Amino acid sequence: MTLLKNNIINALYSALALLICVLLGRATAYLLPLLPSSLYGLIIFTLALHFRVFNAERIKSSVVWSIKHMGVCFVPAGVGIINHLDLVKQHGIAIILITFSTTFLLLSAVGFLYQQYENSKE
Amino acid sequence: MDVSISQLLYSVLAISATVSVYQLAAVLQNKLDAIWLQPMLVTIVATITILIWQDIAFNQYFNSTWGLNALLEPAVVALGFPLYQHLEKVKKQWKSIVLVLFLGTLFAIVSSFLITMLLVADYSIAVALSLKSVTTPIAIAIVEQLNGNVAITAFAIILAGFFGAIIGPKWLIFIKVTSPKAQGLAIGSASHAIGTTTISNISYEHAAFSSLALIVSAVITAIISPFIISFLALLV
Repeated sequence: MTLLKNNIINALYSALALLICVLLGRATAYLLPLLPSSLYGLIIFTLALHFRVFNAERIKSSVVWSIKHMGVCFVPAGVGIINHLDLVKQHGIAIILITFSTTFLLLSAVGFLYQQYENSKE
Repeated sequence: MDVSISQLLYSVLAISATVSVYQLAAVLQNKLDAIWLQPMLVTIVATITILIWQDIAFNQYFNSTWGLNALLEPAVVALGFPLYQHLEKVKKQWKSIVLVLFLGTLFAIVSSFLITMLLVADYSIAVALSLKSVTTPIAIAIVEQLNGNVAITAFAIILAGFFGAIIGPKWLIFIKVTSPKAQGLAIGSASHAIGTTTISNISYEHAAFSSLALIVSAVITAIISPFIISFLALLV
């Protein structure tokens, strides 16, 4: 029972920590409109954990859980492709080919460069 | 009054249906060990089928699921946690990691944008494909900012995730990229969360470097892509 109570309190603590970072992120984006507000929030959250403003141990389990399940939040945006079926019919194959080839270019470039760096250290 | 109650009912129905299909696909994917049963993809395809079959307007579905959409922002912020966890471990290699990811991302944005403009000649699709290597919530935020096609981004991101997750590890070994760190960085920067979850089974080092690359390359992309894309748009 106390375990359950602790879990609920930690989940609320994590939600509050995230909410604070979301709001600070929005304020930063308002004052300095360079990055999307969510990215400012991400950076603020990382720094806050690093400087022990929030207790990472209490946040860990709920945040790991939400990262594992966050894919469901992207479904509505993805379903939006229904409004662009004509674009997909017209350019679908080009989109798939471009995605495939540029993904491999990026994958190979990053892998190759870092491998060279590691080899040069030895 | 009536309208708001029925709207509320629609919301509860649409969100719980979406979440249930997603959970079902996740359980099946685990049981059958089938990577192509990616829950996000399965749920998107199932929802599109139902909307067309029942003749439901997309806007009605989208308005009813605003609750899920509103969670995108805290979802991005939550990614700060794995970044915090890895900061200590990579202190020494920090500069070279950022440099490699910067070069990779720059190359990816420029090549995707130019190839798409050449083959398809549509600005909104070119923006969408330039940002397809970045994790979904961040890519959506940037694509909206740059007037790209958000739905095509969401779709291409899943494709990029699959390609890297399925063929990436074997391809990297084939081109003699054998270090776990290099493999992790490569997959994380090109295939974001889908690639990261897939190669995290190989070793802890793969998991750490892949999730690090996923976040760092997303931040780099967010900073440089508005400048690069508006510059390239002037050229073509």
